[in-house]
Amino acid sequence: MRRFVLYGFLVLICWFAADSARGADLKVPQNAVAGQTITLGTSGQGEATLFLIGPGEVIKHSVKLGSDVQIKGEELRHAGRWVAVLRAGGKPQAQVFWVKPGQPENLSFLARPSRIAVAQRNAITGTVFVFDKFRNLVLQPMPVVFTLGMNGAGASQTVTSHEGVAWIDASSGPKEGAAQFVASTGNITVRRVVQQVAAEACMGGLRMHIAQRTADNIIVETDPVRDCSGNPVPDGTIVTFVENDKKGKSTVDARIKKGIAKATLPASDNATISVAAGVTLGNELHVGGGQ
Amino acid sequence: MKLAKVLLGVALLVGSVSLMWAFADKKVDVQLNVDNVRPHQLEDSTKVSIVRDYGLAWRELNTALANGATAPLNNHFTGFALQKLTQRVKDQQSNGLTTRIIDHGHKLDAIFYARDGSSLEFRDTANLETQILDGETVIHSESVQVQYIAVMTGGADRWYVRVLESVPNGQ
Repeated sequence: MRRFVLYGFLVLICWFAADSARGADLKVPQNAVAGQTITLGTSGQGEATLFLIGPGEVIKHSVKLGSDVQIKGEELRHAGRWVAVLRAGGKPQAQVFWVKPGQPENLSFLARPSRIAVAQRNAITGTVFVFDKFRNLVLQPMPVVFTLGMNGAGASQTVTSHEGVAWIDASSGPKEGAAQFVASTGNITVRRVVQQVAAEACMGGLRMHIAQRTADNIIVETDPVRDCSGNPVPDGTIVTFVENDKKGKSTVDARIKKGIAKATLPASDNATISVAAGVTLGNELHVGGGQ
Repeated sequence: MKLAKVLLGVALLVGSVSLMWAFADKKVDVQLNVDNVRPHQLEDSTKVSIVRDYGLAWRELNTALANGATAPLNNHFTGFALQKLTQRVKDQQSNGLTTRIIDHGHKLDAIFYARDGSSLEFRDTANLETQILDGETVIHSESVQVQYIAVMTGGADRWYVRVLESVPNGQ
């Protein structure tokens, strides 16, 4: 009899445990969004522990089975795959749910290079990664407007992001100065500055003349040195003057100062003087036998 | 007899833990497909570096999650990914959880490679066996294929994972 009661008691415990385990069910949200409150449903009776294991956080709550559990938006910050595990008396119940990124609130804008010569075709690259408030990459296609311009003039291009990234290649403008490179989506705008500088001196536009002759020296100087768009080539750019005569060759590397390069060469009664800046060759002067 | 059973149990436990460790420490298999990358093609040396550094990043992530240690994350994660995963490891630890991952490999499809070579975005199809433990008790285990979107950026001597976001399959 005693054995019979014991067996009966054991069966009752097992039945209760099985019922509890079956009862502790978990219902997860289908359309969770990062930063928004979610509700998880539980069934059964008694106390349990709920773990939410996300890509960048773990949340633990004591719950009363049979009631709903609310997870506040500020707790649910990371988009991606979450596992909800409900641990009651029996076997833990687990469910997977997905959290989507929120609306775009941050743009990571990389503009390269930060300094570029004028009139260079497709030499500037702008790349935008679109993030939500919690720095989740927003994978939903978003229109991103890129504008590159200076003093109100410039060009705009709209690119739709793909897998969270949008990019363009742009050409530098014809005028030197600080160009504003702007990327925007919705009401989020990020600004970068691309310094446009004069390009190489223009072929055919580099000219020099004799500024002064003394018994010992010839002083030569260039006209204002400009690139092909008419921008003055920056001060500090090296201009090379070479004088050839029967005594040999004299070379002077001079820096452009206030737009002009100047060099003092040895006097000669029959010499050829040439000038160059980078890959640009200028005019030649013949001294002595007539210019 | 009882003692023998206990010893056998201990041996099995030690063996399974060692096996887990062996999996956690082994080289992660990474394959990279660059057929659909835009707007710039990856250089051969970059491909090699990405495969090496992404594999190491996952190995270090698995070590961090298994041991509740954030230090391994610093080697190949940076920016938002580092912040996020560091928080995950800390949260796990404070809630008494650990995660063991047996990594069966990653297939990467490159999406975007910046013209200046500074950043690479790709989709990763990862095959993972995961166990979540509360103390010594396994509360969840699964063998699953998960897709990730990752962004890696170049550093002085290695590539870093800057974004790592799991996405539903097919999205």
